[in-house]
Parts: sequence; C-alpha cells; structure tokens
Amino acid sequence: MSGQGLTGLSRWSRRLVAVGVFAWCLITAFPLYWVVVTAFKTPPGVVGGPTYIPFVDFTPTLQPFIDLYQGIRGEFFRTFLNSTIVGLSAAAIATAVGAMAAYALVRFEFRVRFGAGLIFFLLALGGYLLFNNSLGFNRAQALLLAFPIALAAAVLANRLPLPGPILGNEDILFWFVSQRMFPPIVTAFALYLLYSEIGRLGFQLIDSYVGLTLCYVAFSLPIVVWLMRDFFEAIPIEVEEAAMVDNVPSWRIFLGIVVPMSMNGLLATFMITLAFVWNEFLFALFLTNSRWQTLPILVAGQNSQRGDEWWAISAAALVAIIPMMIMAALLSRMMRSGLLLGAIK
Amino acid sequence: MMRNDPIKHVFIWPAVLVVLAISIFPLIYSFTTSFLSYRLIPPIPPRVVWLGNYATLLQEPRFWNAILTTTLIAFIAVGLQYVIGFGVALALNARVPGERLFRVALLLPMLLAPVAVALVARMIFNPTMGPLNQFLSMFGLANLPFLTNGHWALACIIAVEIWQWTPFIILMMLAGLQTLPEDVYEAAELENASAWQQFWGITFPMMLPISAAVVFIRLIESYKIMDTVFVMTGGGPGVDTETLTLFAYQEGFKKFNLGYTSALSFLFLIAITIIGVTYLALLRPHLEKRR
Repeated sequence: MSGQGLTGLSRWSRRLVAVGVFAWCLITAFPLYWVVVTAFKTPPGVVGGPTYIPFVDFTPTLQPFIDLYQGIRGEFFRTFLNSTIVGLSAAAIATAVGAMAAYALVRFEFRVRFGAGLIFFLLALGGYLLFNNSLGFNRAQALLLAFPIALAAAVLANRLPLPGPILGNEDILFWFVSQRMFPPIVTAFALYLLYSEIGRLGFQLIDSYVGLTLCYVAFSLPIVVWLMRDFFEAIPIEVEEAAMVDNVPSWRIFLGIVVPMSMNGLLATFMITLAFVWNEFLFALFLTNSRWQTLPILVAGQNSQRGDEWWAISAAALVAIIPMMIMAALLSRMMRSGLLLGAIK
Repeated sequence: MMRNDPIKHVFIWPAVLVVLAISIFPLIYSFTTSFLSYRLIPPIPPRVVWLGNYATLLQEPRFWNAILTTTLIAFIAVGLQYVIGFGVALALNARVPGERLFRVALLLPMLLAPVAVALVARMIFNPTMGPLNQFLSMFGLANLPFLTNGHWALACIIAVEIWQWTPFIILMMLAGLQTLPEDVYEAAELENASAWQQFWGITFPMMLPISAAVVFIRLIESYKIMDTVFVMTGGGPGVDTETLTLFAYQEGFKKFNLGYTSALSFLFLIAITIIGVTYLALLRPHLEKRR
C-alpha cells in the first residue's frame, strides 16, 4: 500500500481534492437516496413537487410496498422468486463449471490444432446447410444433427498431424474471453428463433427455467473462467505437488485442496455472476414472456404502464436494487482485504 | 509446471460444450439467415437474396444514425468515466479523509440493474416534478426538455452511463494504483518533482496498460447499450437516441424481419471488431514501449 500521488501537494490542494471526491460521492448517493425516499411517499407527496425529508416534507407510508406484494402491478412476488431461482442456479452452475475449466487451463496442458477448429466450423456450417436444404430436416433438427458430427470430426482431426498453427492454453482462454465481445443481440435473437424451433419439436425452451438458465450459464462462463484463472494461478503449486507424490487423484486434489484454498475467489466470482444475471435485461426480454419473467423486465414495464406514479415505480426499482446493495456491502469488505487485486493484472 | 492427465478433459469439456453450443448455434443460424429474405409476419417463404439485406442496410439512414448515436454515447461516456474515475481513484489512493466511508458508496452503482437506474433517472430528469428541475430553477433554468429534445436526451443518457459505470473504472484503477512500486516516488521526491510532474512522468505511463484494458472493456460494453435507452427514451424522440441494439430489437422483435435483422447484427459484429482491432493497433506502440 503506498500513499503516493498527493505527497507533493499543499494542504489546500489536499482539501480541494477531498471536496472533489466528496462531491462525486454526493452525485453517486443522491439518486439512491431519492429512490428510497420516493418509495415511501403518498401520491400528494409526489405530485406537489420534489420533497426530500420524511416526516418533515411528507408523511411516509408503506402502501407502495403493500401494493407490490399484493400484485396490483404485475406479479412481483413470483417474479422476484423467478429472478432469485434463475440467478442463484445460473451463478452456481457457471461458477462450478467455469472454475473446473479455469483450473484445467492453469494446471494441464492443452493443444488444439487450428485446422481442427476450422474443420469444426466448416462441418457445422456445411452440415447444417446440407441437412436443412437437401435432406429436408427443419432448421433446429439440422443444427442439432450437424453439431455432434462436426464436434466428433474435429476431435478426431485434432489427433492427425494437420498443418497450421497449434493453439495452447492461452489461446483457449482468449477464445473464452472473446465471447464477451459479441454483441448479445446477435445471440439473443438467434437463440430466440432456435428455442422456438426446438419448441416446435416438443421441447419447450422459451419462457422456461432450463432455457433461461442455460443461456445465462453460457454467458457468464467467459467472465468466470477469466476471474478464476487468476485466483488459481495465485495458489502455490507446492501443496498440489506434495499431494501428487502421494498419488492423490487429480479430482481429489481439486475438490479437497484447491477449492477450499480459493473459497474467497469462488465466492467473489459467484457474487459477480449473480449480479450480472440478476440485472440482465436483453436475454430475458427475448426468452421469457410470462411464467419465467425476471425482475428487470417487470420493472422496465412499470414505466409505460404507470406514467407518473412515482411511489410505485420507486418501490419496484427498490425491490430490484436492494439485493445488490447488500452484495455491494459484502463485496467491498472483500475488496478491502485486497482480494480483487489479483483479478486485473 | 503443467501436468498431463486424461482427467483434464472432464474438467474442461463441460464449459467448452456449453459455450460452443450457445455461441456457435446462433452464429451459424444468423449467418445463413442474413442472406435470406425471410419474414415471419406476414409469413413469406425464405428466399435467397445473397447480399441484398446488407446492401439495403448500408443505404438506410436509420442504420447510420444508430451507429453514430451508439458511437457518441460510447466514446463520450467512456472518456468522461475514465477522467473522473482515474481522478477519484488517485484521491482514494492518496488517503483523502473519509476514504473508508466512500468505498461502499462508490462501488454501488455498477451493481444495480440498469433498468432500475434508468427508471430513477427518468424521475430525476422529469421536467416539471423532478428534483433536478427544482435545482436548476434556482438558477433560472426551469423546465428544460431533458428527455424530449434529441440533444438533451442523448446528454442525459450519457450522464446516466457515467453515473453507473465510473465506479468500475475507480475499482480497477485503484487496484492498479496499489500495485505501483513506492521507491520510484521516493526518488522523485528527492528530485523535488512536483505532484503534477510525478503524475505525468510516473503514474500515468505506469498505469497505461491497465488504463488501456479498462477503457477497452468499457468501450465494448458501451456499444451494447440497450436497457438504459429502452427505459429512458425508448430511442426517442423520433430515432434521435436509437442505439444499434435497440434498432435491431425493433426490426427483429416488432417486425419479425429475420433476414434483415440477422444482417444487421452481423454488421454490428463487424463494426465492433473493427473498433476493437483499431483501438488495439493504435495503442500497441505505446504499450510495448513500456515493456
């Protein structure tokens, strides 16, 4: 920890800087204060112009929250449950699966031939066009058939001495992370069409728990792999080597030594993933319509339904915000212990 | 040391399979669809038009408008986020009084749902009943058309973006500042370098790699902006604040013009790739000098 940067400044400049930071804090805090206060207002407390201090400016009431719970403006209670269930399970699965992959990338050596990747892509594309256009399968069937064939061919091809570069662990990691660069609208829209075609085959994915969770797991994985790799790299390898001398199998090293040692990292990653899923809007907009609607969709809908009923809008926004406020408090405690430092090297 | 154990496949394949399935399916699907004239409503059987969709899009003023709007939002917002965020991080790192207290509050906005933040922003920017209007009225600027005038609306969206994402920059820059070696600064003290000289001579160059990464992440994420705009203005007034994602959503989900939307999303992908590659190419010489 170094306290440099301001050492050359005079006492007055230091005060000026403190005032600047304080001003930014006010800007950050005011909207939050505003939404909390507004959620307890009665209609007259809103329409008469801005009011700020409860009991002085206006009489607080719990009515907006009672309305919410009773489901007067959409089924908040069930939507809240949906968000919680989908968020927790997607974050848990993504953290588990992603941590495994990250560990593999840190400790084992992988070699993928560029040619094999190319074969996979060309076979998937060509197989899809062939099945769909010439053999009369519908689009979803064609995709589902082409995928395993292309994958099997690529895995076999990887064993052949193909020309072209050989990709290592760093490249695999880059492939994972680069998935985040994709504009999600590309995927969301195509996924919606694919899900509805699969739905026509008799397996409902749109507006279902499985469909939504699967999509969130896939979209959290890049960030999980990226974060967890740094945490695993920070673990001293000597412990694992000692266990290997005793012939402990790799999966027991992972579960028994590595996971407990990186518990903090796993927890932080889990929380970041949870925040991402909880706040996600675009995929939920495309992939749900009623049963598995999540909070952001319902909250966004409040706007058009109730123009100026600010007390209701604020209460709704607050329900979506509060769980994340709690998480921010937990995360900042972790941040203070220097935990997140490793994540950005 | 790298081990080689067949169990490694058990570790890595679940993640690879899920990501591969969810990313390659839509990619192939929309890539092939982008060469078709294909509508669901009214249902017309697909017809191959090759690059027809792309040609139509490139002549569409609304598409260029969406690109311009998105670029404006992304570059202005990220630029200001970086300046404010770096400043606040420097101050926090230098232990201004009360620094502990600020940290939780400063972290908060980036964890909140953009949709909820946009709703709150709508209330604050309300031209008659909002607190901002009351504040500006004191200076004689009553009833400004915050969300009903194209330029004002764009500025408001940028302001909300800055409010929400500056914390991310603060977090990353603070973590970076804490890894800087202290002895360099001690040497600079001995040379009687001023704080200003220390910043431009030491801190800024040493923070350049982290800065580049953070700005890159924010820039790419900003190009995807949708929910904030969706709630605050819905792309309006007219199409003045319509971003690329919102445009694609309107075309795809409201009109179900599949071929057109697929072509649009591919152009979007190409645009993002061009921006990313250009950015990295521009920065590379500066980054390599430091190594």
